[in-house]
Amino acid sequence: MKTKTSGLWLLILLLVACSTQSPAPVEDREVNARVRAPANEDSAGVQVYSLQNPAVKQLTALAGGAERAGDLDQASDYLERALRIQPRDPQLLQHMAEIKLQKEDYQQALNFAVRSYDIGPRVGEICSRNWRTISVAREHLKDFNGSNDAEARASQCMNTRPKGL
Amino acid sequence: MASKVKNTKSVRRKPARKKTVNKKPGLLRRLFRVLLLLLGLVIGLGVPWVIWLDIQVRDEFEGRLWDVPSRVYARPLSIYTGKPISKNSLLLELKAAGYRQTAQAVEPGSYAVHGNDFDINRRAFMFDDGMQPTTHFRLQLSNDAIATLNSVPGSVDLGLVRLDPAEIASIYPLHDEDRTLVALQDVPELLLTGLQAVEDRQFKHHHGVALRSIARALVANVKAGRAVQGGSTLTQQLVKNYFLSSERTLVRKANEAVMAVLLEWHYDKAQILEAYINEIYLGQQGRHAIHGFGRASEFYFNRPLQDIEPQQIALLVGMVRGASLYNPRRNPQRALQRRDQVLDIFGSTGLMTGHQINTAKSYPLGVINKPRSGASVYPAFLDLVRRQLKRDYRASDLGSEGLKIFTTLAPSEQEYAQQAVSMGLDDLQQRGLPADLQAALVLADVASGEVRALVGDRVAGRNGFNRALDARRQIGSVIKPLVYLLALEHVDDYNLITRIKDEPVSLRQADGSLWSPANYDHKSHGELPLMDALIRSYNQATVKVGLNVGVANLIRKIKQLGVDVDIPAVPATLLGAVELTPVEVTQIYQSLAAGGYSVPLRSVTAVLTPEGDLLSRYPLRLRPLEHREAVALLNFALTQVVEQGTARNLHGLLGNNTLIAGKTGTSNERRDSWFVGYTRERVAVSWVGRDDNRPAAVTGGNAAMRIWAGLFQHLPFDAVDLRMPDGANFVWVDKQQQALTGPTCPRAVQIPFIEGTEPKATTKCLEKQLDKNRKSLWRKWFEDKD
Repeated sequence: MKTKTSGLWLLILLLVACSTQSPAPVEDREVNARVRAPANEDSAGVQVYSLQNPAVKQLTALAGGAERAGDLDQASDYLERALRIQPRDPQLLQHMAEIKLQKEDYQQALNFAVRSYDIGPRVGEICSRNWRTISVAREHLKDFNGSNDAEARASQCMNTRPKGL
Repeated sequence: MASKVKNTKSVRRKPARKKTVNKKPGLLRRLFRVLLLLLGLVIGLGVPWVIWLDIQVRDEFEGRLWDVPSRVYARPLSIYTGKPISKNSLLLELKAAGYRQTAQAVEPGSYAVHGNDFDINRRAFMFDDGMQPTTHFRLQLSNDAIATLNSVPGSVDLGLVRLDPAEIASIYPLHDEDRTLVALQDVPELLLTGLQAVEDRQFKHHHGVALRSIARALVANVKAGRAVQGGSTLTQQLVKNYFLSSERTLVRKANEAVMAVLLEWHYDKAQILEAYINEIYLGQQGRHAIHGFGRASEFYFNRPLQDIEPQQIALLVGMVRGASLYNPRRNPQRALQRRDQVLDIFGSTGLMTGHQINTAKSYPLGVINKPRSGASVYPAFLDLVRRQLKRDYRASDLGSEGLKIFTTLAPSEQEYAQQAVSMGLDDLQQRGLPADLQAALVLADVASGEVRALVGDRVAGRNGFNRALDARRQIGSVIKPLVYLLALEHVDDYNLITRIKDEPVSLRQADGSLWSPANYDHKSHGELPLMDALIRSYNQATVKVGLNVGVANLIRKIKQLGVDVDIPAVPATLLGAVELTPVEVTQIYQSLAAGGYSVPLRSVTAVLTPEGDLLSRYPLRLRPLEHREAVALLNFALTQVVEQGTARNLHGLLGNNTLIAGKTGTSNERRDSWFVGYTRERVAVSWVGRDDNRPAAVTGGNAAMRIWAGLFQHLPFDAVDLRMPDGANFVWVDKQQQALTGPTCPRAVQIPFIEGTEPKATTKCLEKQLDKNRKSLWRKWFEDKD
């Protein structure tokens, strides 16, 4: 019993030690500053969410937890599992794009965001997150014109009838 | 030492010669010198030789004895409210995962069914993302979907439960062999004692080599005038098996003997016996060797080793002496004699009573006709798994013991796929098609490219030529959609209703001959809309369009879609004179079905070490193709192939009207029949033909499509999603007039166009309607003014 409790203390100590090197809070990351926060600000009112089933909801929550803890591999694994259940869910695809952005896998971030836009509502907050992610990813990929275009598209997401619908 | 003597000799040649002339050394002294030389040789060469043998044999022994095979798992079934799954599929999944049906599902690994209510007690399992504890849950099916999902204690709503996956095989990823390893304590006593009675009675006492047995064998052989008995101990036989070779030289024998002694020196009898039981060669199945009693028991009797009867043990023990000589399938008479001879030895050594022996002898050999091939029921899928593992992992990683390999196989869908092929071909035979037809079927998930089922032979579980991966056959009209895709990418020249000409065409080929392809019905159909030419699969129109877009571009397109093979740049390529495998065709159509997002087909999702560390994972990666709007237009056209074209019988075969995209294909002289079809979430390719490539009287519609339908009638239906991507829209048009029209006008159809390629003209009907609208707008304006 005594060894058990001492083991527990050791674990707690280790956890504390680990937490001193904990990842930056999500609010301080680029994905928040340049994608989520401005998209949220843009949207003020226009929100289009696809219905999520409970399994996808659960996996999305787990992915969010892993993301906050800085375990991006785990987060993308949860999202991949969710995508097996709902492969055409724009929210999931966009979440995956934002995880890829944080992993600095800009090409995949771009691809997932484009896919999310292709099958998503092309309006509202998610649309804005799509284009902002595309913009940031293109910037990192040195496609500066493309990045500016995407930025402009993001602001069009709040028009009631976007191009192409 | 020896060389030194020689040197001194040559230097002092003369005096030495003098000496020998003068004084001959005594016989004893000469003998002593020879002995010394021999001793030197033994020490100088013998010791390194023994050390070398020691390293060899220990390497081999340790490498195998402790080799735990890698376990291969199917994809875990995700269970959640709303999941579409039929009762039959759920039962198949539970069976594949090794769940037992009981009255109450008290134990983990059991389930109970009452009508549409399932009570499932899930086992604890180490998934690739961590341990999941046992979970007892209840679900209710309604209309082929999971309606409710609750925990059993507490009845809490559960979001998601993963069933522990079916174990589909244990393999050595680097070796092309199957084994079923058994631990010594699981081996029947009679096998252990009987083996020693027949092969090596001194096993418990000798040190690897038994001089007495050798002497006994020598006497017996001399008496008989030929080799009737071997004097090898079990240990020597084990060594011989490690370095299998038919060579029978004295040096080899000596090596074996020394290695046997070394083995006995390093390891105890139990370890050696266990290695022997799992190593000894007991037969051959195609290119796979049958090693070990565990595997042999499955191979000959389809039973686990623990369950076999005394006469079956005797047969296997008898086969140790010559697995092919006493092969019970090929030489049943000789095998029976040998078995009875072994049973007599069991009797004379007191292992069995006379009565038991008589009973045992009264049984036939009891060998099953068709061995389950491989240690798995899914040899074709495992073939793909092995290839992808070798392609994507380092050999040093795959050599590790006891890996857990997570794959994408869906056991219920695999079952349906195999049934569709086996029963489908039987049905075709009844309809008058040849009896020697073969088929392949590949089913994959559209979005992830995960292969859910793969069938490479009409016989379930047969481990031979894998047609899904290796049959390279002409794809015929299955190539046409790519020709039209290229056309649709040329937005200035083509849209779906552009009028093209179906008329005789003659082309001079490289060898000077003239190539004049005809249509299937031997008629030319004149001018018609592009999509109609595809829907009806007209050859001449396709060649016209193809020559415009270019054969080289077509070949480039196939490569872009993920299939890297050499294709001849000749006009006949436009009509599918291209040889591809069913898996390659699936890869091409995955990209199209996913709306232009290509992902490599994959069968492995993760590999885990026994410690639970992830060796590596295959993350989902998207590769968007260019011109995705053109892909969307093509997808629409392919749904029309099923609605009104060459695949219009599909709905009848399936018994429903779900929107499906598809394309039939037939090669020259009806040698190959292809069908490619996809729904929103699944893409599948079926092929039917003869192995020797003779004409088979098949067409895409009469053979492969039936097999495709045989599979999909068991799968949940999800209609193709025709929502257009950014840059393309549905528009009401009149195809004949090539003009925009109103929804209520005659001949009005909705067809997708890439923005800017819509017809400029409008029908009179539409103009009238617009006029009316304008007038009514004016009226409204005036009325408002009033």
